[in-house]
Amino acid sequence: MDAIRLDHVSKIYHVGAVETRALNDVSLSIGEGEFTALVGPSGSGKTTLLQLIGCLDKPDAGAVKIKGQDVTRFSANQRADLRRTSIGFVFQFFALVPVLTAYENVELPLLLSGVKPSERRERVNGLMRAVGLEDRANHRPDQLSGGQQQRVAIARALAPRPVLVLADEPTANLDTANGQQAMEIMERLNKETGTAFVYATHDPRVIAYARRVVKMQDGAIVDAGVA
Amino acid sequence: MSGEGEGRKRISMLYKLWVLAYRDLGRNRRRTIMTTVAVALGLALLILMNGYIAGVMDGALQNNIRLKTGHVQIRASSYNEADLSLQWRDLLSEPAQIVARASAMPEVRAAAPVLWAGGVIATSNDSLGLQITGIDTASAIYDPIRSAMVAGDFLAADDRSGILIGQHLAEDLGLGLGRDVSLTVVDSDGQADEGIFTVRGLFNTGIPSYDESTVLMPLSKAQAFARADKRASAIILMLNSQESTASVVAALQSPGVQVLTWSDMNQLIVQTLQSSLAFYYILDGVVILIVAVIIANTLLMSVFERIREMGILSALGMKGYHLTQMLLLEATCLGLGGIALGLILGLSGVAYITYVGIPIGDLASAAGNSVALGSTIYGRFVPDTFAGLSLATLLIILAASLYPAWYASRLEPAEALRG
Repeated sequence: MDAIRLDHVSKIYHVGAVETRALNDVSLSIGEGEFTALVGPSGSGKTTLLQLIGCLDKPDAGAVKIKGQDVTRFSANQRADLRRTSIGFVFQFFALVPVLTAYENVELPLLLSGVKPSERRERVNGLMRAVGLEDRANHRPDQLSGGQQQRVAIARALAPRPVLVLADEPTANLDTANGQQAMEIMERLNKETGTAFVYATHDPRVIAYARRVVKMQDGAIVDAGVA
Repeated sequence: MSGEGEGRKRISMLYKLWVLAYRDLGRNRRRTIMTTVAVALGLALLILMNGYIAGVMDGALQNNIRLKTGHVQIRASSYNEADLSLQWRDLLSEPAQIVARASAMPEVRAAAPVLWAGGVIATSNDSLGLQITGIDTASAIYDPIRSAMVAGDFLAADDRSGILIGQHLAEDLGLGLGRDVSLTVVDSDGQADEGIFTVRGLFNTGIPSYDESTVLMPLSKAQAFARADKRASAIILMLNSQESTASVVAALQSPGVQVLTWSDMNQLIVQTLQSSLAFYYILDGVVILIVAVIIANTLLMSVFERIREMGILSALGMKGYHLTQMLLLEATCLGLGGIALGLILGLSGVAYITYVGIPIGDLASAAGNSVALGSTIYGRFVPDTFAGLSLATLLIILAASLYPAWYASRLEPAEALRG
């Protein structure tokens, strides 16, 4: 079954009088447990596509279906609920809450979902171990390296046991070793948890981890790849 | 999920939002401290202003009651205070009976007849118009004068030539103890009568306007001097409690007399108090609005700085109302911190002006002739007002934070993530 399905999705940005067509009639299916790279040059629409899949934005045309539900009809609160329960995010700029510790950052989505304290502890500790940061749990983001922050972000994305994790240029701000470590963790957790991962990148070393590569150019999918 | 489980979820969430709010305030410590201090100074100013005006007005009122009017006065129906009439028809003919009746009431601490006359005091070098007051020297009503004696002795009831004058008046006229002065009064027949009196004592009540315009002499001598027979201008009553004024007044009503309350007799002060309060309410409003603008500005700046972070929180599934709650909690933290500091500063200031006072000088205090201002102004603790101001400050802070909170809650996650 498809975890995500996009049907004829378009997105246009208006900046003053200027109209930019970020996505043009895009259709795509992502299956459960996939490990998919979204590749293409800057401005090709990768980030916009991830934002639409992640219910962070609404398309101007077309439908985005997650687990069969057309989320384009959802209210802001319904979309927030869906993000909280079913979608994890990893951003290029790490995007941890700076005033919370690594542990608290991973715990936050579970708090939002009302997970019981004992289960929260168990899940957070397990994920901190899985990303190799159990000894950094009480450190705040500014006390962690870029690579460590991105590993915390990966743990946070997986905390609510989502159907899908979306990662936008997850290694762009990391050196080669840390980028490789982050990708290996994502790949391992994809296999262990069965969570689908879709990540945007234009780094050939990162693309190599993908089992499916979707190529984009000028707001359109030029090659949907094979799962 | 059970109601109990839902409740626990909400508490956990609220706790985490509180942690976020509290720690967010610690990010830009300088701005948080400055904002807290601004709130504190605003509230401290409000408390100080209100403590000051309450002290001034209440002090002036109590001085007037203590030295001039008492809590209740009984006068002949036709008596007009402004004329200081000595016409017999304007005076009480049987003051002793009224005093006896009033003194029998448990609410009445002291009751005494008094005779007022307009007069002129003259020395070889100078003369001055003032009020001559004939007093029952044994009455507790004049305890404030007794305790304000700075030289000589208080009057004896049978003293036929002695007077008490204020220290300030004595200095103005170059008089001292034992000196003779001429007093002239227009008596009940409309004739000017002059007498020579000896200064037996000097008092300093701390109220220059009183000390510079009052001459006291025994009632019997004043009655004889003004040809008022045994009559009195009024009976002055001091009560055990100001709150029992209405019941005492009601009990003492009788034909041919007017029974006046401290409020009736201090209209000027009461009206000044009310108009001052109205003015201070406006000032309070302005200060509170300034505090509100500072808070709104701080929170808006804080929201603008954290737009991307709010996008992250939205991406994690945090709803708009959670962001609203978080910002309201930040505002509450700022407000409570500022209010706590403001209370410390404001109450310290009020304590200072209450126990030490602000000297305003004799000239300034004497300028308010009808309002018995002391040469030192004292503040007063008004807990209800201070609590009300603190609450109003907190409420206005929360109101001011609604716009930034609403703004944050309306952010589209994708737009917020772009910064």
